[in-house]
Amino acid sequence: MKLFFQKLLVLFIGCLPIAQEVRCQEMDGTPLVKASLVSNASAVVAGQSFEVGVLLEMAPGWHTYWEYSGDAGLPIDIAWKLPAGFQAGSIQWPVPEAKLEPGNIQTYAYSNRVLLPVKITPPKEVSGSITLKADVSWLVCKDTCVPGDAEVEISLPVGDKANPLDEPLFEEFRAMIPSKKTPPFSLDWTSKAGNMELHISGLASGQLPELFPLPREGQTAAHPKFLPPDRFEISGSEFHGVLAIRYGDERRAWEVDSNVAPRVPTQSEGPGLWLALFYGFLGGIILNLMPCVLPVISLKIFGFIHQAGNSRLQILVHGFAFAAGIFTWFLGLAVVIVFLKSAGTQVTWAFQFQNPWFNVVIGTLVFVFALNLAGVFEVILPGRAATTLEKTGDTAGLGGSFFQGVFATLLATPCTAPFLGSALGFAFSQSSLVIFAMFASIAFGMALPYLLLTAQPGWMRFLPRPGAWMERLKQFMAFPLFATLVWILLILGGQRGVDGIIWFCAFLLCAAMACWLYGAFHQNTLATLLAVVIFCSGAGFFLGEKFAHSGQINSEGISWVPFSKDRLKTELAAGKTVFVDFTADWCITCKFNEKTAIDTAAVRALLSKKNIVPMKADWTNANPEITEALKKFGRVGVPFYVIYANGDASSPVVLPELLTEAILVDALKKIP
Amino acid sequence: MKNVLFLLLASVAFLHAQVDPGKAAPDFTLPNGNGKQTSLSEFKGKTVVLEWTNFGCPFVKKHYASGNMQKLQAEAAEKGVVWISICSSAPGKQGYLPVADVTKAFTEAGSKAASYLVDEDGQVGRLYGAKTTPDMFVINPAGIVVYHGAIDDKKSANPADINGAKNYVSAAIAETLSGQAVKEALTQPYGCSIKYANP
Repeated sequence: MKLFFQKLLVLFIGCLPIAQEVRCQEMDGTPLVKASLVSNASAVVAGQSFEVGVLLEMAPGWHTYWEYSGDAGLPIDIAWKLPAGFQAGSIQWPVPEAKLEPGNIQTYAYSNRVLLPVKITPPKEVSGSITLKADVSWLVCKDTCVPGDAEVEISLPVGDKANPLDEPLFEEFRAMIPSKKTPPFSLDWTSKAGNMELHISGLASGQLPELFPLPREGQTAAHPKFLPPDRFEISGSEFHGVLAIRYGDERRAWEVDSNVAPRVPTQSEGPGLWLALFYGFLGGIILNLMPCVLPVISLKIFGFIHQAGNSRLQILVHGFAFAAGIFTWFLGLAVVIVFLKSAGTQVTWAFQFQNPWFNVVIGTLVFVFALNLAGVFEVILPGRAATTLEKTGDTAGLGGSFFQGVFATLLATPCTAPFLGSALGFAFSQSSLVIFAMFASIAFGMALPYLLLTAQPGWMRFLPRPGAWMERLKQFMAFPLFATLVWILLILGGQRGVDGIIWFCAFLLCAAMACWLYGAFHQNTLATLLAVVIFCSGAGFFLGEKFAHSGQINSEGISWVPFSKDRLKTELAAGKTVFVDFTADWCITCKFNEKTAIDTAAVRALLSKKNIVPMKADWTNANPEITEALKKFGRVGVPFYVIYANGDASSPVVLPELLTEAILVDALKKIP
Repeated sequence: MKNVLFLLLASVAFLHAQVDPGKAAPDFTLPNGNGKQTSLSEFKGKTVVLEWTNFGCPFVKKHYASGNMQKLQAEAAEKGVVWISICSSAPGKQGYLPVADVTKAFTEAGSKAASYLVDEDGQVGRLYGAKTTPDMFVINPAGIVVYHGAIDDKKSANPADINGAKNYVSAAIAETLSGQAVKEALTQPYGCSIKYANP
């Protein structure tokens, strides 16, 4: 965005029609808005839809308006003038910014620039070159408002195939177009004395919700009042609009409607749901091949046959009772998860994969389970509990078969836990419906052999013979889990860099050792205790100490040199210019300045262009050398910014504490 | 102390301000172009139109340059309706007119309004919940607000849209004068934001 801003400034100089299709609105010689048409396809292909966007670039401080402009203003309007047979879809409006003016005047507007994509569908037959035209009109406001309009056009050749054009631009704005899908967090609408309250649960820390009204015809618009961190108060009894989530520089948006809540999942949710069902079913079937399950299958079936005598129907009924037991167990699990999920309002379950700590927990679980499958250790139910359970289930009749179903599943836990545990972890990020569907299909997959075999006992001959291969299969199943871990590491790397991965792996090493100790010497209390100590101290040191402070700076960030008196001397002796950032993790102003004024594209470009050494004096853990350096400038705290120009140690330039990008850029530019 | 109290009251009014149709129109006193203080209460027993305006705003220009607003004002005057234009732009902000310059601007615009009042601290605008220029209120002879909202149903700054637009204000005046209830009493006003003083 910042980079674009630079580009914008350059483009605005003169506002000459650089490309012929760019139209410019000026006021007293000052360019206000530049309008142009951009296409995401290099050519028009007969019958193949593509996107054309109206791009409006506003001068700094000026803004144009969203489809609902709010208390004042006017939405941007596009009137297409298309060749015969061409059709234009409706405008896809990216989410705007809320602006509050004195007098409680709330408007919804775009600043800097906005792309309004529209789907264009060419007819079945096209030839030659195609020119698409549109009359675009807008109101642009700063302190005053000026209406503007322009006829914009773009010419495209006709071809057999088209290459993508301007994808980054389209992607940037497409990401901000409200999705019609259900948002990945739960929305609770409650009404209170003529007003409504929307509560959003499942936001991760750092995610800022914004709510924009988009009144339907006949609805009066109410401006939602934000009650941080996750509530909105809305006057009136119904609300239609857009919910946006700001997360750092990113924004995502969803259409919301108080009348359609809770939303019934639509077809668009289909793939996720069907996939969950399929995996659940597959997982359920695989569970049957585990060493503690497979040998039991034929025993159980023979048991049913024995009880039912020769009645085929009776055998099948027993099979169903048994399957019902399996379902009960799994759906019970699903209920527990959904309950935990909804109870954990402080714990944020949505967006979990954006939270590195969630990935750490899931990664650890997956790893430990994989070790379990590989045979490093085994989970053994306490002997007495197992026998009791088995006895309870060992009653005759249909009730007996039902409980046998429940307990067979429970007793299979040592083999199934790794799968279920992983499934549970992922289930937390899903909607309740998906969780139920997934567990029901696991139950179905697991119950399937019983249903089939009680219907056709003859098919028992197709049942694979229990044997050593089962153990091998179990061990093999560790690999998909290890692969999952690799995937989680990939995500973690994006979040915490190489450091993060290394420290997490160091912790996994401790976890592996603890598992091995437990597996090899679990009768020995001392060994178990030692395993716990290793695991906990690994977690405390590698996660709590190291991982927690691992690099959060993205790859684009400034490559800071740590401050030391000697280093500063060396760099200055070499005639270099040095910019020193005195900062600390606990200093909000420092962090704010770093985000908004220092670690920006413009500053990074200047630093590298002028070969300036960026030096960070991190005062987080009171460093005497830094304290001394601050004292020299008569300072007792951070933030503090100073520039030594061209190796000159005698006359450093001190910058204000409330640093802005403009001040810093200016100061850096002044260096000869 | 008095000032603090006033500020407090003003800020409460600021938060809750919105004179919806059906409510009594709060009284106010503002200077006109001659510096004379004019109060709403002077017109008790008459139908009154309040028009928030700003001659620099393109939406206001749409209705003045085309003569539409003057036509409405003249028609209203004929029917004995008092038309009051109010400007709530703060000093230093766009559209601000010092009292001394009002008459000139008023004449240049060809306004046929009965009064043009200057609300430079924005108190009256905030009291009524006026947000845009134009933003229209119609008050019946009993002093009750019967209409608040847009001037017409074509949200644009383009004079060509005046023809064929449904004018809410003339409808509200006609209905009020004939003793009927106003059918569309609350609409969403459109226009530039009023350039109030920074709080």
